[in-house]
Amino acid sequence: MSASVVADPPAPAGAPPPPEQEIRALGRSLDAAFPSAARRPVHAAERALAAPLSDRPELRAALFRLVDVAPACRTPTELGEHLDAFLAELPAHERAAGLALHLTGGRGGHALSGRAAAVAVARMARFFIAGEDPAAALPALARLWSGGVASSLDLLGEATVTAAEADRYAARCDDALVQLAQAVRAWPARPLLERDFAGRLPRANLSVKVTALTPLIREAAPEIGREDAARRLRPLLRRARELGAHLHVDMESIASRELIVGLVLGLLAEDEFRDGPDAGIVLQAYLTDSDELLREVLEWAARTERATPLTVRLVKGAYWDHELVEARQRGWTPPVHATKADTDRSFERLTRALLAARPAVRVAIASHNLRSIAHAIVCNRRSGRPDTDLELQVLRGLGDDLHHALAAHRLRVRSYCPVGDLVSGMAYLVRRLLENTANDSFLAARADGADLDRLLRAP
Amino acid sequence: MSFANEPLLELRRAWVRDGLEDALRALDAELPLHVPVLIDGATRDAPDLASTDPGAPERVVAAATRATPTEVDDAVRAASAAQAAWAARRAAARAAVLVRAAGLLRERRARLAALAVRECAKPWAEADADVCEAIDFLTYYAADAVRLERGEELVQLPGERNELRYRPRGVVAVVAPWNFPFAIALGMTAAALATGNAVVLKPAEQSPGCAFELVRALHEAGVPAGALALLPGEGDVGAALVAHAGVHVIAFTGSSAVGQQILRVAADVRPGQRHLKHVVAEMGGKNCVLVDADADLDDAVPAVAYSAFGFAGQKCSACSRVLVHEAIAAPFAERLRGLLDTLVVDQATRFGVDVPPLIERSAQERIADALAQAAAVGATVARGAAGPDEGWFAAPAIVTDVAADAPLLSTELFGPVVTVEPVPDLQAALARVEALPFGLTGGIFSRNPARVRELTWKLPVGNVYVNRHITGATVARQPFGGTRLSGGGPKAGGPGYLHHFVESVVVSENTTRHGLVV
Repeated sequence: MSASVVADPPAPAGAPPPPEQEIRALGRSLDAAFPSAARRPVHAAERALAAPLSDRPELRAALFRLVDVAPACRTPTELGEHLDAFLAELPAHERAAGLALHLTGGRGGHALSGRAAAVAVARMARFFIAGEDPAAALPALARLWSGGVASSLDLLGEATVTAAEADRYAARCDDALVQLAQAVRAWPARPLLERDFAGRLPRANLSVKVTALTPLIREAAPEIGREDAARRLRPLLRRARELGAHLHVDMESIASRELIVGLVLGLLAEDEFRDGPDAGIVLQAYLTDSDELLREVLEWAARTERATPLTVRLVKGAYWDHELVEARQRGWTPPVHATKADTDRSFERLTRALLAARPAVRVAIASHNLRSIAHAIVCNRRSGRPDTDLELQVLRGLGDDLHHALAAHRLRVRSYCPVGDLVSGMAYLVRRLLENTANDSFLAARADGADLDRLLRAP
Repeated sequence: MSFANEPLLELRRAWVRDGLEDALRALDAELPLHVPVLIDGATRDAPDLASTDPGAPERVVAAATRATPTEVDDAVRAASAAQAAWAARRAAARAAVLVRAAGLLRERRARLAALAVRECAKPWAEADADVCEAIDFLTYYAADAVRLERGEELVQLPGERNELRYRPRGVVAVVAPWNFPFAIALGMTAAALATGNAVVLKPAEQSPGCAFELVRALHEAGVPAGALALLPGEGDVGAALVAHAGVHVIAFTGSSAVGQQILRVAADVRPGQRHLKHVVAEMGGKNCVLVDADADLDDAVPAVAYSAFGFAGQKCSACSRVLVHEAIAAPFAERLRGLLDTLVVDQATRFGVDVPPLIERSAQERIADALAQAAAVGATVARGAAGPDEGWFAAPAIVTDVAADAPLLSTELFGPVVTVEPVPDLQAALARVEALPFGLTGGIFSRNPARVRELTWKLPVGNVYVNRHITGATVARQPFGGTRLSGGGPKAGGPGYLHHFVESVVVSENTTRHGLVV
């Protein structure tokens, strides 16, 4: 079977690329605003992990497997046994390094080394995860707000395989919305974060995952999961509207994309949700067909009357390995760009197209790559709009230094803050660690002392 | 080795799904397909055996003609007569024919998948995978036979030349099952043809339509008329074929009982028979998945469910027992139970279906009886959705509190039923697997590499899967075959399989003359 032979319409266009020198100048200025003395955006806690690992695959694998299994171990002894087993698999030249990861007491037997490892993993988790539950995370969100940084709360959870789990996740989301809406009333005014071209920006902002809202994800039958997820998403949209909160639907692997897009655009077009809530969707630049999805979203926005425009969060995409492995195993053309440079170029092209599509959409640029960020800001400024018409997003932990720098430039920035316990947070944590120790990560490269001008070059 | 599997259809793309639905509509307009007895290019089409849609038993998919005892004899004689000429072609020439057949199947993929959906109620993804695997077998064995033709290296000393060659055994009787109506039937057939044998194929009575499509493609691709015969029919046709003195190899995939019967019959030397029959038998299993205390239930629960309930459990590799560490037995059971309620039990034609109807009424009755028996002696049976009224549906089931000596724990059910047993540790789980008569597939969920390594050596099964589902073996990646009463050990789709279709001949020539090496 072959793909449609009908030529695709042209990709949504934006303004031409802005001058390189402007992007680099802004990039350097942002870099100079990083808070740490060395202007290295990687926190010491995980620099120790990230820096030596990118070119040491066995050690990296051992560490990830340890982090992955840690919450499933009921006793320090159990974790210590795993640690031993992972170290035993290392090639001889890495064994000493493995022991030196500060994850083990070495001589104290399984219980002691296991306890040390558990402490280390919990410390790492705290770096990326804002708290065990929304209540625990609220003080951190309030501190962010006071410091000029908005937030989006994300509830981590185990995979949803049963209806009861989907119900529990929906209930947690509902509860989080209520708690958030209550808490934000006490927050001080931050005009920079509260208004853009389309009007008021909600302080309370929750990101939700559709694969957690239904156990019925069937990639060959998106309608099955869509109907089931809609039953749980609809009450959340109502709650968000009632509370004046923003609800953002995250994107995951491509297997659920058709479902998610159909679900979100379908529900938001219903009369009931014409006047709210504020809502958003995600566009993943690493997908080779992301232009098509953008066109679909823009066509939807053009024909759908809503009180506030849909927010489109542009990300690079966090499931690259997964998409590649799956495509290789099944003999498919990978749905993702082959190289990071291709993704980065796609990201800039989509940035320009999105910015040009305003006021039909709100735009949030989510990246830790200073080049990608600077490019977006310069494009926005050259379109004649104030900085507040563009939202920048970072991840808690990894993006902490970056959000300080952006806030210092009086840019509108939002930190994506996951909450959850260690067990449910593990998949997220491992993904972040993998990302951060990848060879092509901007932050890892910067931490390794890569030349800033080189990093700011056009992809 | 470098071998690329046929890519699966990307069912997550709407236009791919649309193409399949078109193919199904086109196929439906053609039904019933006529499946004749086909011997040496001659057909006899006098339908007296129907295959029906398991999801709509009124619908006849194939109107087949039962082979008679005389036709069994004719087919074997014709195959014997044609075999020498087929064998005389070089392996590369035979391989070219098989690769051409693979191309024809590739062109007809959508239609073939639709046929498996109709005739065997395989859900689309499984039906497509079946066609892909059939294509893989053709190309894999074609290439492997070319390599085999080169023979093996022997020690050479001055004054002699030693050669080990392989030659075909003769006539291969292929007795195929319905659950992989393309892949398994064609896998055995392709291995035999690639190595220069002639084949008489007796497909399952439930899937003659699929078999006929394969035979047609092979003939169109250039397999000589006499070298491949098709004998539709029931067990009596297979029995007559297996007993025939002119058959050299019996390639069988099916139940343990029939496999053992074939081995007994094959041991008899008939009047006029001047060879020993070789039997390649791939039989049932009672496959266990072991779940350790450190397993990630986010992975283990869906993988177990897919292994147990996918295609309604009608795979010899399917999981039918879970042995779960008592430390996580409660959350495992709760989540698997919850997942049971989410399973989509519906017609195979529906995209996204998890549990399609069973192949036939007797299967439905067998499952119901087994569950009733288990419940009568105190087991707890949890059932998922019952599915539509029309079709041979069986609600997927999880059975717990099963007595250690209950038949449910040791006999193969071939349906959407899984038992869950807590165990104190994986050593205890291993002991339970060792006590079983079967040894086909097994699974381990553990994140401790030391434990995984130990168990992969000790589990007495042919295919061990770690931290994944235990079905879906893929040609050249997971060569497939069991141990113990599950099979004789050959690995379909792997190195060594073709050896069962050839015999080796060693030629040792004196190269000295008058004391000189010439």
